[in-house]
Amino acid sequence: MSISPSDPSIHVAAAYYDGQTTASKAVLLSIAGGDLLLRGDALELRWPLGEVHVSERLGNTPRLLTYSEGGHCEVNDQTGLVQLLAQVGAGRSWLDGLQHSLPWALAAMALMLIIFAAAYKYLLPWGAEELAMRVPASMLQKMGDSTLETMDEYLLKPSTLDEARQQSLRDAYAALRTPADAQLKYDIIFRSSPMGANAFALPNGTIVMLDGLVELAADDNEILAVLAHERGHVERRHAMRMVLQSSVVGLALAWYVGDVSSLLATAPAIIMQAKYSRDMEREADVYAEQTMRANGLSPCLLGTILYKMEAAYLAKMKEKHPEAGAAKDDSAMDYLSSHPATAERMRLMCPGK
Amino acid sequence: MQEQFGVKNQSFEFTGSGWEYFKIWIVNLLLTIVTLGIYSAWAKVRRLQYFYRNTRLDGGSFDFHGTPQAILKGRLIAFGLLIGYNAAFEYDPMIGLGVAAVLALVMPWLLMRSLRFKLYNSSYRGLRFGFAGSTGDSYRAFLLYPLLAMFTLYLLAPLAHQRIKRYQFDNSRFGNASFSFGAPVKGFYILYLSSLAVMLGSVLLAVALAMMMGSGAAGAAGIVSGLMMAGPFIMLVMLVAMLVVSSLFSAYMQNLVWGSTTLGPHRIFSHVSARRLLWVRVSNFIGTVLTLGLFMPFAAVRMARLQIEAMGLAVSGDLSGFVADQQLNATAAGEETAEMFDVDISF
Repeated sequence: MSISPSDPSIHVAAAYYDGQTTASKAVLLSIAGGDLLLRGDALELRWPLGEVHVSERLGNTPRLLTYSEGGHCEVNDQTGLVQLLAQVGAGRSWLDGLQHSLPWALAAMALMLIIFAAAYKYLLPWGAEELAMRVPASMLQKMGDSTLETMDEYLLKPSTLDEARQQSLRDAYAALRTPADAQLKYDIIFRSSPMGANAFALPNGTIVMLDGLVELAADDNEILAVLAHERGHVERRHAMRMVLQSSVVGLALAWYVGDVSSLLATAPAIIMQAKYSRDMEREADVYAEQTMRANGLSPCLLGTILYKMEAAYLAKMKEKHPEAGAAKDDSAMDYLSSHPATAERMRLMCPGK
Repeated sequence: MQEQFGVKNQSFEFTGSGWEYFKIWIVNLLLTIVTLGIYSAWAKVRRLQYFYRNTRLDGGSFDFHGTPQAILKGRLIAFGLLIGYNAAFEYDPMIGLGVAAVLALVMPWLLMRSLRFKLYNSSYRGLRFGFAGSTGDSYRAFLLYPLLAMFTLYLLAPLAHQRIKRYQFDNSRFGNASFSFGAPVKGFYILYLSSLAVMLGSVLLAVALAMMMGSGAAGAAGIVSGLMMAGPFIMLVMLVAMLVVSSLFSAYMQNLVWGSTTLGPHRIFSHVSARRLLWVRVSNFIGTVLTLGLFMPFAAVRMARLQIEAMGLAVSGDLSGFVADQQLNATAAGEETAEMFDVDISF
């Protein structure tokens, strides 16, 4: 069907269709006086070149020459057509070059990798922070209230600590001097939960303190350290940023993997979000460290209580799953974990120990 | 290949190559990112043209004529709908449900439009395909039957599936020739029930094997501990069974639907092998995971080759006798706005 590439002739074989029937007619294409000439068995057509649309090259697929008045030619002889069109100076578009060269494909791949990495590491966290910092306080208040409502309904129980103890912790926290200019109104509420020794911050500045943590701490300053850490999460709008960042990561992966498999899209998303989560924990640690120093307290207190919380958690896990081995080497799990390894956090905050 | 008098079996050919498509795909991807998604409409046109033009039958190739602008418009509408839908749910679940109901109500109409767009913009040997399905029938196929299936605990699901396929195929045109869909409801039921049977059988087999593993200990405790230990094993068996059954299902479904369809005097045939489909799927999945997605264009070409080359036309006489539908072309050409409303919502 195709003429050999070395053929010097400027005639190119094509199949002509008139657009009215599916009858295929073999023709030879040539160019004469600004017209495209189609010659075949009992057929001769002249199409002014200005009225002919030549389809772009797309791999090795047939090229189509479509006449605006109706009818088209299908050409399988790629080199022949290029030679034919070269006579009238028809050049190639930049996209044509891009789509058909291996070096460009590899360059595109490298460029994409760089864009992905830069967006993941810098652009997205920066954009989410800029946006989150502009969220009005009224919306944060609403988010915090509705979150607490849901958690109270399903996860949390009233605190069993006596009122005096609660008040003394509230007072100690209120007396805490903060390093940056605080933007939100902070209060602590006490709850108990099977989650054990923990505390978490809601977007509106409310810090939920679980009884387990108060019982675990040997020293109220340790509790203050955890509170300062949680306050760091709130001040830096971590909850909002996490929502923004993880939805963008999820969307991007769903788009890239397309319809291959939802499993392929979700597993990497979880791993990618874990890094953001660890970065935020470190940021909150730094905030806590600054707060502790501003109040003349040792930042090592946060490390101490983190170790205790980790030990309490592991003990609890062991109780539930006695067959599981000893505490895992948590540095190896760092890539997958939502929190940085406690030893590493300790080293950063409290270099002496 | 049986050859009746005047009937010749003509198989589809697929001439695409993975490396060739890889280059187009990666450039598409990069330009889509750089233009923040706008280019994706142009990328889709190039992708479809690559696959259409590489599909050949009796020396002629297919072509796609959709314009990126129409696709972009369709995508913006779909994107807007998605945002509105999610925002409504965030705001108030009741309003969200209302929006969902409205979406369900317009969906059949949108699907009908999307079929029209797709077929009108497809051609073979210079002749356009077309879709003549009515709006009323689209509501029966895409809303009434699926609802019926839901309210009968999916007992009518195979029937609903058959009605959707019948709507799609029976209303398709090539030039002035009609496609005619002949797959009986019975065929859909047999396929659904046998898939279900194979799936249930493998679950039972997995559980039985698990109980045998646990039979070291006596009584009910032995069975329970066996089931616990064999949890991952049962999951694995289920996963394999799911893969096998879904491959069998898609292969037989394609063969059933296409194999019972005729175009004018010509009969379409389809003989996809479930075994090969399974192999292509599994190897595509592994390739995609190992290359972090770079294998996807190769995977798409392999899948297209398998599905397209398994099909063909039992040509009665020859294929040069199709004539353009003057009326359909006249309306399409007369209304410049035809494409404005024929949105494409499939991604």
